[in-house]
Amino acid sequence: MCVFAFAKAYSQTSQDSTKVYKKRVLETTEVDFLSSYYSQDGDNAAVSGGIGTEELTDVTGTFVVSIPLNDDDVLTIDAGVSAYTSASSSNVGPFDDGPADPFQASSGASASDLWANVTGSYSHSSDDRNDIWSAKISVSTEYDYFSAGVGGSYTKLFNEKNTELSVSGNVYIDTWNAIYPTELRPFGEGGNGLNNRLFTQNTITGNTNYAPRFSEFADEGRNSYSLGFGFSQILHKNVQGSLALDFVQQQGLLSTPFQRVYFGDVADSFIDNFQLADAIERLPDSRFKVAVGGRLNWFLNETFTVRTFYRYYFDDWGINSHTASIEIPVKITDKFTLYPSYRFYNQTAADYFRPYEGALSTDEFYTSDYDLSEYSANQFGFGVSYTDIFAKAHLWKFGLKSIDLKFYQYDRDTTFSSSIITTGFKFVMD
Amino acid sequence: MMKKIIMLTMITCFFSSCVVVKEYEKVNINDPDMALADKKCDRNVTTAHSYREAAVGANGGKTGGGCGCN
Repeated sequence: MCVFAFAKAYSQTSQDSTKVYKKRVLETTEVDFLSSYYSQDGDNAAVSGGIGTEELTDVTGTFVVSIPLNDDDVLTIDAGVSAYTSASSSNVGPFDDGPADPFQASSGASASDLWANVTGSYSHSSDDRNDIWSAKISVSTEYDYFSAGVGGSYTKLFNEKNTELSVSGNVYIDTWNAIYPTELRPFGEGGNGLNNRLFTQNTITGNTNYAPRFSEFADEGRNSYSLGFGFSQILHKNVQGSLALDFVQQQGLLSTPFQRVYFGDVADSFIDNFQLADAIERLPDSRFKVAVGGRLNWFLNETFTVRTFYRYYFDDWGINSHTASIEIPVKITDKFTLYPSYRFYNQTAADYFRPYEGALSTDEFYTSDYDLSEYSANQFGFGVSYTDIFAKAHLWKFGLKSIDLKFYQYDRDTTFSSSIITTGFKFVMD
Repeated sequence: MMKKIIMLTMITCFFSSCVVVKEYEKVNINDPDMALADKKCDRNVTTAHSYREAAVGANGGKTGGGCGCN
């Protein structure tokens, strides 16, 4: 009996003496509040077939809460809303009030919408922190779109944590609640065509024998599958870089149901100043995308850091694209950092893109969405960040660790331009 | 395509042949501005790009789903 008691006591002592200190993956609960105000304008609205205002404003607010469940596991809840008002999408139904005009906003129901999203993710790290598994589930909804997603990733660190390899996968199962341009709805299944009140109470000018090519989409589902590979490497005590390779396969309804198209070989019909749609955009029901990108960051000195990014993208719709950006954080004090940045982007046009009146009624696929046209864009940005590593300022039990404020101006070589102001507040629990 | 794969392999070999930086030498590497990802407050900028541009992926942002974009 004494021998067993001694053996047990020795065993416990032995275990205690070899216990290794394990740093928590996340020391305490962290809360990020992110918000942004976005505005854009241009003269090539896809809703009105490549002509008309693209004016849109969007306000977002998001909470990201990361909770350490134990030394190894972290649960993150990411919940946000985004509210937009859009002169462009208001013209899905441009005949609600006053003279219809593609360059004027309408008071239609589609003038605004609310997007809401909740994502929950869970990550687990091995004792030596060289293996990290994560899984996530997400749901988002807006008036005409619902999405549910699941994903996971695995990351392996080795070479004394100088090298990192990762693989990730995501699946999104989405469903449209298709909204069609007002003037096309009477030509859908069960519609009464030109006998509809829209046409009896308004006068069609131009081609009065208005006969659009329209049928509702039978399948409103859209599935997206992505597979990503990552590799990062510390190159020097002041330099590190990464490579990423993403494959995405999309299937289903890839057209946007409320985007009009005007055919060049069909006579034009109008109500007021608004040209009636000849059709809605038609795009293939599958798309395969490949993106390969790299980052290289260089800690020049205590004041300057250089952050660079490059990406090459192509897909089977005929689009090739290059993205390059540089950001140079400048630490002006131990609490404040400035973030000047520049980003260049260009893309070739999709095979199916046609400008206003460029498509023909004999074409199989067509779109006048200028987001799928050929263009180049320049973006200039500037930001400032405040960081207090001691998180002295408090809001209830949370200390304020950092505040970020950034502004970006984005200009295409077409008529489109946009700007965005973003803010981020980071709190840590005491 | 083959050239691209060879180029990628060479870059990968170049990366992995570098000296090992010890934990105590990673003060600068661990600076928040050295992170190999965008800052969280830039997330909505990346989302705006994914709405307005054809290209997505390879930047840590969304590659599809969740909205009517792309």
